[in-house]
Amino acid sequence: MSIIDKDPAEAIDLIKAGFESAGYICDRHIATSIYLSQKLDKPILVEGPPGVGKTELAKAASELLGAPMIRLQCYEGLDESKALYEWKYGKQLLYTQILKEKLGDLLEDAVGLDQSMDKLHQFGDSFYSEKFLEARPLLQALKSEVKTVLLIDEIDKSDHEFEAYLLEILSDYQISVPEIGTIKAKTKPLVFLTSNNTREMSDALKRRCLHLYIPFPDAELERRIIKTRVPELDENLRNQIVSFVQQLRTQDLKKLPAVSETIDWARTLLLLHAEKLDADMVRNTLNMLLKFEEDIENTNSDVPKLVAIAHKETR
Amino acid sequence: MDRPLAEFIEMLRYADIPVSIGESLDAAETVQLIGYDDRGLLKAALSQVMAKTVEEHDSFNRCFDEFFSYNIEFDFKNEDKEAVEGEDNLDSQSANPEPANENDDGSSVNDDTSGGNEQEAGEPLGDPSAPLLEMLEQNDRTALALAMTQAAGEANLGGIVLMTQRGLFTRRIMEQMGLDQVNQEIMAREEQGDDEGAVDLAGRLETLFDAVRDMVERQLALTSSGKGKQFRQDVLKKVRLSNIEHRDFKHMREIVRRMAKRLTDMNSRIRKVKNRGHLDIRKTMRRNIAYDGILFETHWKQKHKDRPKVLAVCDVSGSVASVARFLLLFLYSLNEVLPKVRSFAFSGTLGEVTDLFDRLGPEEAVPLAIEQFGGRSTDYGRAMEDFKDLIFDEIDNRTTVIFLGDGRSNGADPRVDILKEIKSRAKRVIWLNPERKSIWGSGDSEMLRIAPYCTTADTCNSLNKLELIIRDLLKSN
Repeated sequence: MSIIDKDPAEAIDLIKAGFESAGYICDRHIATSIYLSQKLDKPILVEGPPGVGKTELAKAASELLGAPMIRLQCYEGLDESKALYEWKYGKQLLYTQILKEKLGDLLEDAVGLDQSMDKLHQFGDSFYSEKFLEARPLLQALKSEVKTVLLIDEIDKSDHEFEAYLLEILSDYQISVPEIGTIKAKTKPLVFLTSNNTREMSDALKRRCLHLYIPFPDAELERRIIKTRVPELDENLRNQIVSFVQQLRTQDLKKLPAVSETIDWARTLLLLHAEKLDADMVRNTLNMLLKFEEDIENTNSDVPKLVAIAHKETR
Repeated sequence: MDRPLAEFIEMLRYADIPVSIGESLDAAETVQLIGYDDRGLLKAALSQVMAKTVEEHDSFNRCFDEFFSYNIEFDFKNEDKEAVEGEDNLDSQSANPEPANENDDGSSVNDDTSGGNEQEAGEPLGDPSAPLLEMLEQNDRTALALAMTQAAGEANLGGIVLMTQRGLFTRRIMEQMGLDQVNQEIMAREEQGDDEGAVDLAGRLETLFDAVRDMVERQLALTSSGKGKQFRQDVLKKVRLSNIEHRDFKHMREIVRRMAKRLTDMNSRIRKVKNRGHLDIRKTMRRNIAYDGILFETHWKQKHKDRPKVLAVCDVSGSVASVARFLLLFLYSLNEVLPKVRSFAFSGTLGEVTDLFDRLGPEEAVPLAIEQFGGRSTDYGRAMEDFKDLIFDEIDNRTTVIFLGDGRSNGADPRVDILKEIKSRAKRVIWLNPERKSIWGSGDSEMLRIAPYCTTADTCNSLNKLELIIRDLLKSN
């Protein structure tokens, strides 16, 4: 990791530039957290409203570091057998059936139950060995020979128990499997946890992570993001779009439009060959930005005003 | 860990950011990595290490700006020119006695001086133990700054909590620095006829006074925002709900919110959808009969636990007006953190306020709910009927019904028969009454008739009590 070993300010600028070439526009704040997490060996807990690019950050980091990404999507009821590891019970059972006769041969000369047991014990716990261990995302990330980026997405959707499983991985990069022992990471993965804050994470988890909050971008940053993501778009229209969305975010809405919505909207307008924003077109495409019927209804009457301001600002 | 960082962390803790020891170690490592030079970078880095929620980020940014922007300034008006000329000189001198501190760049942050002051006490230059008079006469700002922080430490300035203590602490610090001696000197000069000298010295003293006052103010701002708030919150939690002033509403909201959040956090720990830890041998074997007894498909022991459904009914009539606001506030917060709460308010007629709570902030929603449903005289019978009409079908054996009210029905029949029906259908019925148990049943109170048809009926007149009751509720879930 050559970038990381440089002088902090320089390294952070390099990370930022690297992200930009990977198509992820960010501010120094985000680059700093990548740098810190590498230096302090700490996972990053990314919070922010939906659609500001939390998951994208992990993808961009994976691209930047040239490390494969392993993703674990969290949901309610997710448990260790889905996230950490599981025994291949089916395979174990099948093997016992298939090996039945073989066992008969082995135990042929044994007299009595005790001797048969002793004989069996000589073969060790072959059924509970790594061969029968199904590695799930978390274990995969630890066992990987190369550095990986581990994305634990929407951790707030998971249960409290699952958070507890995570603690060992997050602080020591290891997993304890009762039947085998502790598996330590060969190379420490870069871990991202994302959360929409539907529930407060426990202090124990937060303590182990760096905390990165990604807010909605300001106009300048959003313009650059749109420019990278939808490069075909005319500059004038781009500025109008960003100005309109920025205004929309100051309104009282159920769900504010995020960057991903702005990008979708920009693509839509591009598809419709729009040259500049006009009220009718905005009304017709408003459902790309606002995802609640109520919000759309409330905004409809304000559209001409907002469009006018957007025109004025970008002139 | 160096001293400025330690002090900064202490300040963060006052500002409600719980920095753990592990996090302070991380912070120290971060500082070592990044250094103090690039403030913007340091701020971004430290905020990620120490602040772990959005609110904490806000407080962190405020604290950081306050802490690292401050310089002790002595603005000796008469000496303006001289001061400017001597500036470079002074600065280089001030950097000299600094021991190998983190900031060897000599950037004159106050913490450099405070950080160094103990080790430096005996240094010839910038010597804070020199008489105050000498320091003032020589315009020795470094020494003055050091003496000030030292005196502040001895006067225990960190303990300042209240606005009214400002004068006291300023005085104490000045006395610690040798105010008496300077005053005597001024008097002596006046007696000797050296008016000019006396005025000059008095002017310098006044400047010093200003600087000390500034320092005290700043410290007050740092600590009081933390300590004062905690003090007030502790008191608010214990006070009877009906006695809380309107102006405390905001603080109450914060406490109630935190309380509700804690309660639901506990609750979600209890609830769990499935638990697939163990192989269910019996079911596995039965299932695999089809495969000729070869165990092929596994089956797991599963445990289901459902989320609680809560229906909360709040009395907002005149008799409970003083408490209603807070009961509604609690309902509101519960609404925010529990997914399935439906709230109702009534005085005469009963109506649902869930939607109102969903749409508006508490500052609007609570008064609106009171306005919409309050004001009329209570009629529990009517409310029960309405409640039955509205929602009875949705009550099932997973539902918890909470009533918040004093049970005073103005002589009308409280329709306990409906309550009985509700109880037989619901998982449990809880009645929270702001009145003491000893006056239940007096006058038009129907509590004695109501209580037998509730799973729990209890007094609830302070936030602490409210929390206890709700916690029990969630525990037994």
